[in-house]
Amino acid sequence: MQFDTAYALETVPIILQAAGTTIGVAVASCFGAALLGFAWEILRRSGRIMSYVMRFVIDCIRSTPVLAQIYFIYFVLPYYGIRLPALLVGILCLSFYYSGYLAEVFRAGIDMIHHGQMEAAKALGLSRRHTIAFIIAPQMLRNIAAPLGNYFVSILKATPYLAVIAVPEMLGSALDIAAETFRYAEPLFVSAVIFLGLAFVISQLVAQMERRLMASHRR
Amino acid sequence: MTYGQILWGIFEGFRVTGLVTVLGLAYAIPFAFIFGILQHIATGWKGAPVTIFIEFWRSSPVIVLLFAFYYTLPLFGVTLSALSVAAMVLGMNIGGYGSQAVRAALQALDRGQTEAGLAIGLTRSQVLAYVELPQAIMAMVPTFMNQFIQLIKSTALVSLITLTDMTYRAKEISQIVFDPVAVYSALLLAYLIICYPVTVMGRHIEKRVTKGRRASDAI
Repeated sequence: MQFDTAYALETVPIILQAAGTTIGVAVASCFGAALLGFAWEILRRSGRIMSYVMRFVIDCIRSTPVLAQIYFIYFVLPYYGIRLPALLVGILCLSFYYSGYLAEVFRAGIDMIHHGQMEAAKALGLSRRHTIAFIIAPQMLRNIAAPLGNYFVSILKATPYLAVIAVPEMLGSALDIAAETFRYAEPLFVSAVIFLGLAFVISQLVAQMERRLMASHRR
Repeated sequence: MTYGQILWGIFEGFRVTGLVTVLGLAYAIPFAFIFGILQHIATGWKGAPVTIFIEFWRSSPVIVLLFAFYYTLPLFGVTLSALSVAAMVLGMNIGGYGSQAVRAALQALDRGQTEAGLAIGLTRSQVLAYVELPQAIMAMVPTFMNQFIQLIKSTALVSLITLTDMTYRAKEISQIVFDPVAVYSALLLAYLIICYPVTVMGRHIEKRVTKGRRASDAI
């Protein structure tokens, strides 16, 4: 068997069509992971016992492979009668896995805020909830924008894991084509090249955003 | 099957998980040091091929690389066992990340160190071996520990190319006993038992490294 260039080119448009799903899943998972990670971090800061509990929970999320978590969530939900579309389960899985990493990003982002900010909020009589929403969150967002961008690239690169639960993203559609024609090399090669290009373009955009933020920091 | 038997059954796959991890390290560590140092030393256009090579291994999703190499290499006349391909792809991917830790640690050093070394008549490689690397190596350790955990976790992927690691064993067992909650929670537990100590140790080392750095700043 030889590498069939004509066949490889034929698969390009089909796999490119799935790029939309890949990007959509990555964006949705990034939002989900940020919300969940922020919740973990706020919980971790609400009391001494909670801080130990949440640190353990976050370490557990970070110490298990995303593939094992995907299998767990995908097979356990229907066992309890919860039936969700694969796409939604996939977003849930990636959100959960990356929430453990983003919690650490939020921790660093909050630690960077000067202690006087919290004290001033308390002195003004703001409640804990108002302090989080109006004092901490806005300042934290600027601190975490750059690492958040890098994790978005990581999440994008984790989307092909969802091919194992039949989410129709780029690797999944490449494997579908391969299963029909019994030729694996060409579609997989094409999907690898497209992924490489996509990851490269998006990480360049993130780096550019980082530079711009650093510039506004300095001013 | 009791929960203990399921967990024991999953650990039968530990031999492959451990083997892929160790073989992966054999690729990752030399790759990280050689290319990290090359990227640090090379200036101008000479750095481009080094960067391209690193980015190839770092920017592509590891699961796509694994599939692409596993199915494409035979077409170019290279037939490797699944184990060899897995160790190479996972190791080179982690090595790509590791090379950035090496480069960052070397570039964080004061330029005066290199200049002083050259001024007292050391060659560039002597400066690297006796001045730069000994100072930079401790700063790399925390990142290396994180990458080591990533490598262990990414070995779960080899279950997709027919190697009987822990994840593959879990899938086999789940076909015998219909209890996805028990089987997949045991799988998560198995990875947790292996990775959690490394996570805790990594954090401990990171604390010591940053503390040491602060003390030397005071001097």
